[in-house]
Amino acid sequence: MELLIKNGSVYDPVNGIKGDRTDISIRDGKIVDKVSSSASVIDAGGRVVMAGGVDAHSHIAGAKVNMGRIMRPEDTRLGIKPRTKITRPCTGYTVPNVYAMGYRYAQMGYTTVFEAAQAIMKARHTHEELEEIPIIDKGALTLFGSNWPTMDFVREKNMDKLAAYVAWGLLASRGFGIKCVNPGGGEMWGFGKNVTGLDDVVPNFEVTPREIIVSLMKVNETLKLPHSVHLHCNNLGKPGNYRTTLASMELADQVRARKDRQVLHVTHVTFNCWGGTNWGDFESKADEIANYLNNCDNVTTDMGQLIFGSATTMTADGPVQYANAKLLHAKWANGDVELEDASGVVPIFYAKQVSIHAIMWAMGLELALLTKDPYKVLLTTDHPNGGPFVNYPEVIALLMSNKKRQEEIKTLHALVNDRTKIPGITRELDFNDIAVMTRVGTAKVLGLLDTKGHLGAGSDADLSIYDIIPDQIDPSIEHAKIKSAFSSAAYTIKGGEIVVKDGEITATPAGRTYWVDATVPEEQTEIMMKDIRHKFKNYYSMNLANYAVQDEYVTHPEVIKAGAIPVEVS
Amino acid sequence: MQTVTIKPKSELTISVEAENISPDKFAGKSEKDIQSLEVWLGNHKTTLGDLFTIKVEGIGTAADVKIVMEGNFSRVKRIGEGMTAGLIMIKGDVDMHLGAKMSGGKITVAGNADSWAGREMKGGDIIIEGNAAYYLGSGYRGESCGMRGGKITVLGNTLDFAGEHMCGGEIYVNGNAGILAGISNNGGKIVIGGNTSRPGSEMSKGTIIIKGKVDEMMPVFKLEGTEAVDGVTYNKYTGDVIGNGKGLLYVLV
Ligand SMILES: [Zn+2]
Repeated sequence: MELLIKNGSVYDPVNGIKGDRTDISIRDGKIVDKVSSSASVIDAGGRVVMAGGVDAHSHIAGAKVNMGRIMRPEDTRLGIKPRTKITRPCTGYTVPNVYAMGYRYAQMGYTTVFEAAQAIMKARHTHEELEEIPIIDKGALTLFGSNWPTMDFVREKNMDKLAAYVAWGLLASRGFGIKCVNPGGGEMWGFGKNVTGLDDVVPNFEVTPREIIVSLMKVNETLKLPHSVHLHCNNLGKPGNYRTTLASMELADQVRARKDRQVLHVTHVTFNCWGGTNWGDFESKADEIANYLNNCDNVTTDMGQLIFGSATTMTADGPVQYANAKLLHAKWANGDVELEDASGVVPIFYAKQVSIHAIMWAMGLELALLTKDPYKVLLTTDHPNGGPFVNYPEVIALLMSNKKRQEEIKTLHALVNDRTKIPGITRELDFNDIAVMTRVGTAKVLGLLDTKGHLGAGSDADLSIYDIIPDQIDPSIEHAKIKSAFSSAAYTIKGGEIVVKDGEITATPAGRTYWVDATVPEEQTEIMMKDIRHKFKNYYSMNLANYAVQDEYVTHPEVIKAGAIPVEVS
Repeated sequence: MQTVTIKPKSELTISVEAENISPDKFAGKSEKDIQSLEVWLGNHKTTLGDLFTIKVEGIGTAADVKIVMEGNFSRVKRIGEGMTAGLIMIKGDVDMHLGAKMSGGKITVAGNADSWAGREMKGGDIIIEGNAAYYLGSGYRGESCGMRGGKITVLGNTLDFAGEHMCGGEIYVNGNAGILAGISNNGGKIVIGGNTSRPGSEMSKGTIIIKGKVDEMMPVFKLEGTEAVDGVTYNKYTGDVIGNGKGLLYVLV
């Protein structure tokens, strides 16, 4: 099967193509240098061609997402679309059903999406949903930040055991990388408490968030995992938390990357770049975070952009969700994952005339516009915490048009002018920057740049064509056209197959699930497993034999090898 | 004036989703146009003309439309959904979701209405001469705002959860109400002429007046003394005290 995409304005930053008219050749699901004259042809007609979108942080599957669906039947009603000959029925807006997740990402030209948090114990559920999400490739990051074994091994300063535990945890959860949410806080929440900074001691374990983060970064590099540690900082959701965020970023200096990527990814910065000391003097410190990023090369971030309207906050940060529910008088679901983590789900409505929300709206944009290098700030809404992912085109339009931002600012609570820098920022991103923030950058941060995020030979044949002819449009003025084009791809091609045409789904192949098989010396695993068996015997309510995700649950696996010992290349 | 008369062709035993029976949908349309409007009979798509005889006299805007429904409509749901003006007169019983989300106009029912009548309505009038079932004027599953405006009058009784999550508007029930009338009231007014039990927990705002007997009170109200409303003396309560609510509950002394 051969396909030739002719005459596109190609944005492929990795390969130095910045809107040049270039042909892309595809054979058997991969991009190749040349195809034969019998290849089918799509004439892009000068329209924008990019690699398929890659999302490094979204909540698309698992226990929290499903809890959101259960507690928000009213959300179901916001996105009902009956089945067609090709597609299954869709429901929901902030917490769509599994089918809508795949279709809606594909319709925006996205082909790879990572679920940002799964507890090992809940991973089987995550994979059951991932398997049902059509079209897109996916993977899930595994929570390690408040797990009892993690904290035990950190206290013992035994990095061999910790590395073995992480490798085993990734295998048990068929996970892709290390997620660390409010380290230590999940455990403290079991006692109705939280940690308040990097140096609070977690009772019964005698470790600090600082030690947990640094230790996990160390073993991440020992195991040479494709992705770095992915951190949801302590103190999230509290005014003044930007200091904790900066202090957490500085920890990256203690560890050297063993792959060509960051040492630490700090996620959804909209929720942790907060200045002030209370809700009254609440202000944006996104500029401080951007300033730090401009002077370092070992940390990356994503926006977690706020979108006005309905959202559902869901996180393994149990204590922050209790605070949210109290503050908002909202519905609240609380979860405890024994020995591993907490979680919480709370619906929210972001309103333009609420000063806090208006200021938060500015934060993500400030971060993206004040950070010089787009590789350091990925485009996310922390779906569905800042807002549903279907709003990425709105974010793209805001980043590309100062005019749109100024129009929006006029409709917001006036404090957005005093408490943020956004009114004075005139920078407008170009298509190349957008390609970085939504494709290349995300693929690089995830460690998947070999096959994702670009259009060089050997890469997966995932690409999107948007109904924009770059030299016939001024995105600054015609921002509405930009938004509508990115909402509804002219073509989305996944693994060489046309899955979307003119914004409509045309095929629904199954996507693959990425997970990382990291090896450690066998004797190291054996020593670590003694502790794990002890935990199961004494504390877990389930049997070790029933714990790990079996292969039957991951029927389209894409295994990436990593590890502490040299991997044999066959 | 445009008068549309609707009668079932035969007895309906499977539920019909008939949100297209509405003055807004009928306005300015011919008999044939109205007959061809889509409805669902169970899982089967059909037309209004297939299930009902439809007669049209005159023509007009939604405000000029009068829909007269004669017969048994107890399996016909969503009549008048989202209507903004005009009149629907139903000379029989109706199924669930009567007048859901309506914002204007008037619906009268000579018989009984099933659950969710006036669900999330914003304005207009619903008069039910018989009984109303559960969730009268409520929010649908998970919704934080039920009825927001308008008025519902029930001459008979209603079942549980009347006015759940109400944010505005008025509900008058002449007879008795089931348990938890006005639960999570956020600003509506409910008057129950007869008896009820456990009214108004989780109230944050709004008013509930019970003219009959309350079998059991939820222990979340603070007695503020007595007060006369329209010449009748009631015990006045505020609550729900757990949520620091400012709701008012009047119960006949
Ligand atoms: Zn997240």
